[in-house]
Amino acid sequence: MKLYKKILLTLLGGFIIIQFIQPSHNKSDQLLPTDLTKTVNVPDTVLDIFKNSCYDCHSNDTRYPWYVNIEPLGWMLANHIKNGKENLNFSDFGYYSKRKQANKLRAIAKSINDGTMPISSYTIMHTDAKLSEENKKMISDWVSSTRDSMGVKN
Amino acid sequence: MKNIIFGFAVIAITTAACNSGNNSTEKNEKKDDTTMNNNTSTQSSGNTDTKVDGSMKEMVTQYLQMKNALANDNGKEAASAGNAFVESMGKMDKNSLSGEKKKKWDNLSDDAKEMAEHIGKNGDKIEHQREHFDMLSTDMYDMVKTFGAGQTLYKDFCPMYNNNKGATWLSEIKEIKNPYMGKKQPTCGSLKEEIKL
Repeated sequence: MKLYKKILLTLLGGFIIIQFIQPSHNKSDQLLPTDLTKTVNVPDTVLDIFKNSCYDCHSNDTRYPWYVNIEPLGWMLANHIKNGKENLNFSDFGYYSKRKQANKLRAIAKSINDGTMPISSYTIMHTDAKLSEENKKMISDWVSSTRDSMGVKN
Repeated sequence: MKNIIFGFAVIAITTAACNSGNNSTEKNEKKDDTTMNNNTSTQSSGNTDTKVDGSMKEMVTQYLQMKNALANDNGKEAASAGNAFVESMGKMDKNSLSGEKKKKWDNLSDDAKEMAEHIGKNGDKIEHQREHFDMLSTDMYDMVKTFGAGQTLYKDFCPMYNNNKGATWLSEIKEIKNPYMGKKQPTCGSLKEEIKL
């Protein structure tokens, strides 16, 4: 066998092998008692924006694209989701202390308004997840009123 | 040729098996976590606040280090103080706290820990550190009011930070040394309260 054939075969073999190493999927149809909607009052308009633009990485239920089953893409997604949930998980929102909830809300408003969220690597693949100015205002207003009702300033 | 393919198949099967094994241990760990949390909340509370003062003192020192590092535009130093702060928080003997104080500690520490962790992780992004320091300062004020600081502190206010929403911080000196504006505007702000403890 020629050398280049061996290399090609090894690469192909490697590619096949990694297909067997599938990370577990972030899927759940259970609404936990710690869910955002069970913790604070969320109007449907705001919830729809969250579900469409944030929940894939910030909840226990991801809507996966078809390419999730191709490694190493699936690993990259799993890593994004893990990081996302570490910083904010809407399914675990009630698990945070009141103070932390209030600051998470503040961080939500800040990150969508300065455009750091949703991250560009996500909106490239999910163009409909981009937030319009109207969306941003709706979320910001909701954050302000919710924080007011929690009795926090600034 | 056949051998090669067979080899790949064997490796594939073993790696797949390893992977599923990992998943189940991860789930178990999570379960353990929640049961542990339940246990601590039912534990009885004694009343020796000496240890509390010890870790609070450390936290105050490290908080002030963060503040001074940010005022000097030194993100690296702020980061190491942030990491030390998280460590000191872990030393707090929660079981020695009485019911009401423990509730306050849980509420504030859950938040403060995350803020300090972010400050610790972002030594090269000082503006990001400052955002978290703003929120940490509010927690810290409430903590000092509840648990003491072991020294006199001053609460200062900078009206400009965060798009003119303003931000507070705690300081060990009367002079203003602004951690949000850094060397750009070191004296922006005013003294709001002297916290004598």
